[in-house]
Amino acid sequence: MTPKAPAALAVALALAVGGVVPATAQAPIRIGASLSLTGTYAKLGKNQHEGYQICEKELNAKGGLLGRKVQFVVYDDQSMPATAVRLYEKLITEDKVDGVMGPYSSPVTEASVNVTEKYKKVMVAPLAATTSIFKRPPGQKRNYVFMVISPAEVYLEGLLDTGVKRGLKTVAVVNEDTLFSKAAASGAEEVAKKKGLQVVFKEAYPKGNTDFSALLTKVKAANPDIVAAATYFDDAVALTRQMKELAVNPKMFGVTVGGDLPEFYDTLKQNAEYIYGATQWEHVLPYPGNQEFFDSYKKEFNHEPSYHSAAGYAGCLIYAEGVKRANSLDADRVREQLLKLEMRTPFGDYKVDQDGFQVAHKMVTFQWQKEKKVIVWPEDLAKGKPLFPTPPWTSR
Amino acid sequence: MTRLLVPLMLVVLAALTVYPIVGSGYGVRSVQQVFMWITLAGSWNLISGLTGYVSFGHVAFFGAGAYAGALLVASAGWPWPLAALAGGAAAVLLAVVIGYPCLRLKGPYFAIAMLGLNEVLRALVSYFEGITGGGNGLSLPTLDASVPIYYVMGVLALVVTGLSWLIVTSRFGLRLMTIREDELAAEAMGIDTFHHKLGAFLLSAAGPGVAGALMARDQGYIEPISVFPLAITVTMIVMALFGGKGTVFGPVIGAVVLFVAQEIVWARYPYVHPLLFGAIIVAVVLLMPRGVLGLLQQRYRMPRTI
Repeated sequence: MTPKAPAALAVALALAVGGVVPATAQAPIRIGASLSLTGTYAKLGKNQHEGYQICEKELNAKGGLLGRKVQFVVYDDQSMPATAVRLYEKLITEDKVDGVMGPYSSPVTEASVNVTEKYKKVMVAPLAATTSIFKRPPGQKRNYVFMVISPAEVYLEGLLDTGVKRGLKTVAVVNEDTLFSKAAASGAEEVAKKKGLQVVFKEAYPKGNTDFSALLTKVKAANPDIVAAATYFDDAVALTRQMKELAVNPKMFGVTVGGDLPEFYDTLKQNAEYIYGATQWEHVLPYPGNQEFFDSYKKEFNHEPSYHSAAGYAGCLIYAEGVKRANSLDADRVREQLLKLEMRTPFGDYKVDQDGFQVAHKMVTFQWQKEKKVIVWPEDLAKGKPLFPTPPWTSR
Repeated sequence: MTRLLVPLMLVVLAALTVYPIVGSGYGVRSVQQVFMWITLAGSWNLISGLTGYVSFGHVAFFGAGAYAGALLVASAGWPWPLAALAGGAAAVLLAVVIGYPCLRLKGPYFAIAMLGLNEVLRALVSYFEGITGGGNGLSLPTLDASVPIYYVMGVLALVVTGLSWLIVTSRFGLRLMTIREDELAAEAMGIDTFHHKLGAFLLSAAGPGVAGALMARDQGYIEPISVFPLAITVTMIVMALFGGKGTVFGPVIGAVVLFVAQEIVWARYPYVHPLLFGAIIVAVVLLMPRGVLGLLQQRYRMPRTI
């Protein structure tokens, strides 16, 4: 045999067995992302990262993309937009990645997208829920950024709708003073107005806030039926704890992000009972491939995925589908495919308008009941009835 | 020593001048960040290194400059170089307002006031949503000006360092250091301590103001939390301490070494870098309280005025 013969034999074998050229034949497709692995959004960013990892693994198991292996290149931006901007520039100009995926959170995406637009890179941004990132004033349009999750404005709709149907009249809205949470809070106000709920109190607190006693004292004085909090994880936990300490007893209390994490219950234990949360995704929802994703994720990382994991996973699948249909990594061709793509992912439906703005995906509202998240809204996806009203802290 | 130093500096300057032609986008932005940190650490050094009045809120000037500059660009349509100068002016104005009452007092009041100033500014920016966009942040029209901003930031770092040298080698600088060593004695010798401190303080505010406005333009998006974090103040202090506070080139050394170290550590060890950074701080404070340059000046025959 000549020296080349074993290699030729191997290829022939692989062809015979798999029926495809092995994915390792060419250099891998490298996809870069900056993620919040440390800092304020660490927990959520890490889940998103794990979603990307499952996607990477799965794509490679199916023979890669365009016949090439897929490899993620991930850096940590410490939850800071300024760092993420630098890292995307590094990924694109130094590491020369073939494609990019979005970072965690709206503010970080808002800053990073300036870089990806500058270098004409398609960025599927699976965890940016702020409308203004996609809907731009004339003359400042963005062409290469795509939305996956439902917009921030609809997060608290399910909570308020459930309350109104049970005859509640007043609501207090509190939020972290950042891009996403503000949009969620003003969305809640809109919904309240439409449904005839009276907003009796509204206040924002800065990112990283840990002491909510002053805020909650004012909430208590306003005595609302519903407390709607547009939060991330840390503040959702702190708010709940301090509501108990100060005996703030609304008939319903709901948070936005963070409340759906298993860690939320692990940290708060029975104090998490009765709390409502909004989520983009639950593993019990009947989307194709959802259960398989849940199982392989749990096996890989020894904990359950959150919607951030699922959105990251689905965002990556959507990008891969765009590349597959374009049969190219060229930004303009992938963009064209992503604009007309309609896809049912394990995370839910994907379809965007001409601004890359998600129009098909649905939010659900759940309530923590006996250590489990039970979906209570919307009715067509609900798996149970809300335990209503929430009893005061003293009688739980 | 100086005979070696001058040609070396010229070579470095020449290399930095041509760098944008050969460097990648990331490289240019990173060096530009080094310039920014030299500006910040050098400016902090002017007030805190020389007079001993420690400012725990210097990021306030950075943030004020960022917002002033960004607003002038976004709402009034100013060209960014002019807006950057205005950012510096805004920071100096702020320094007058805070420095005039606080620097009359001796002792820790100034440090505490500066710490508060930063929080107050952040709250104000969040509160006046109509103008600043509040927590939504402020998005500037897209513009690719990385390379011009690189040069302007470079000149800024050069100006701050040159200014430090002028001050350290002047009578004004000597008087400032006298205040640091013993303020009462300085007064007894007839030094107008209040006006000297105020002068140094105003000079130290200008650089961060301009740098903030440039950063805002370069990034195209700012929000209160990303331009008023305590972390920026801490980093500039650590850089100045590491290089050698009260010296001219100490902040430069600190900014270059720590930025590069951080950038390398960041990419590879996301979970341990705060730990490593903390360990460096502890090691520096314990083993070389005068910083790298202070240590060199002590060990070898080196001029005290660099």
